[in-house]
Amino acid sequence: MSTEPRPIQASDEPRPRKPRPRLVVTLAAALIVLAAGTSAVLARLGRCDHAGPFTLVMGQAGEERDAARLRKRAAQAQKEIERVRPRGVYLVVDTYRNRLFLEENGKVLRSAVCSTGKGAVLRDPRNGHEWIFDTPMGERVVQSKTKNPVWAKPDWAFIEEGYLPPPPGSDERFDNASLGDYALYIGNGYIIHGTLFKSLLGRPVTHGCIRLGDEDLEFVYRHAPIGTRVYLY
Amino acid sequence: MRRLAHACICTSLVAAAASAGDELPSASAVVALELEAGLARQSVVYLHLDPGRRTLEIKARGVVLESVNLTGIELVNYQPLVGGHVPAAPPVPAVWKVTSAPSDRERELITPETLRPMQDEEEAPAAAASNPSPTPTVIAEAPTSFRASLDMSWDLWLTNSLPPQGLWSRFAAAVKDGWQRMHGHGESHSAAITLAMAPEDVKRLYHVIRAGMTILVTADTP
Repeated sequence: MSTEPRPIQASDEPRPRKPRPRLVVTLAAALIVLAAGTSAVLARLGRCDHAGPFTLVMGQAGEERDAARLRKRAAQAQKEIERVRPRGVYLVVDTYRNRLFLEENGKVLRSAVCSTGKGAVLRDPRNGHEWIFDTPMGERVVQSKTKNPVWAKPDWAFIEEGYLPPPPGSDERFDNASLGDYALYIGNGYIIHGTLFKSLLGRPVTHGCIRLGDEDLEFVYRHAPIGTRVYLY
Repeated sequence: MRRLAHACICTSLVAAAASAGDELPSASAVVALELEAGLARQSVVYLHLDPGRRTLEIKARGVVLESVNLTGIELVNYQPLVGGHVPAAPPVPAVWKVTSAPSDRERELITPETLRPMQDEEEAPAAAASNPSPTPTVIAEAPTSFRASLDMSWDLWLTNSLPPQGLWSRFAAAVKDGWQRMHGHGESHSAAITLAMAPEDVKRLYHVIRAGMTILVTADTP
């Protein structure tokens, strides 16, 4: 009987896995083709931005040839613009940055931090009536001014707080503290006035009025006469 | 954007050209001036877009209140990747009107559920208290890209960066849009006059551009 060990045969060992490069490559290729195909289909289905230069195209304006007539029209238009442009003292209110400027013929006399409309919408639960708390844009005029103003509260002032508006003329309607020492009325209930909430100056928190700090308000009150134009943007 | 002093009231380059006297103003410059005079007559704030000078100005009564420098101006059309085209620019000079703007729609809504009667003076909402406690509204951040609809079937798109136009970028955008369309979220946009500017300027104009606002478009320089 032989004591020599039996030679190891290949069939006794666990078979090492054969690499299958072709399968891997094929799978990868299939995935790529699938992804590309899907992308192509999606791209065909979808849309994207096509951009081109803004090339100026002249409208019908270019038909006028009479030089004298052109000059006359230009002069008339220029004269019209000159006629309406602001002169003297006027106010400019930047409602984005919450800044007010008192200017005179282009020179800034006073720059002030203010608060303007918060832009929210208030809805009356009883009838769906809505108020938009925007500071209006455009040109307005100081229609009247007063010292120690009293605020006659409109309905929204109560509704916003969750109260039923009291009858017109009732005592609850009148508030002699909120508007500060001075008020400049610029129409449609909009007022340039003072505030109790000085820490909120510089932020859009009002119901459309323009709030100023005490010193700035006094300066504006003294230097902006009735009739002063106000430019709000 | 810079706030301009009144000293630099510049009705426009058109005005300068028109008043030069010796030099004959072009017909389009005169029409632009007449359009501006028509707007200046009204008590409104309007915008003045000058593609030639690459500026967008906020004006009232012919006076520049603020001026924005544009870093780019393009016509952008949202169309299929293959076969998409950009329409010809609308003619100028012209006055466009904003028919719809996001700042008009995206507002905080205050809706008390019920209203209760006032019991006594102390409960009144008067702000006459000696130590008022303000409750500031949370203010949403303005976007750095938005579209407003114009009355001449175009959009005005204000953005801090123009859409990339490389083939790969457009392909990727189309794939993304296609995916969204498959899921019912696809968007459609009108062709847009696209103005690129600094992000802060987009925010500022988001605040200003409202439905009804007019935009004067002129071509002062070629």
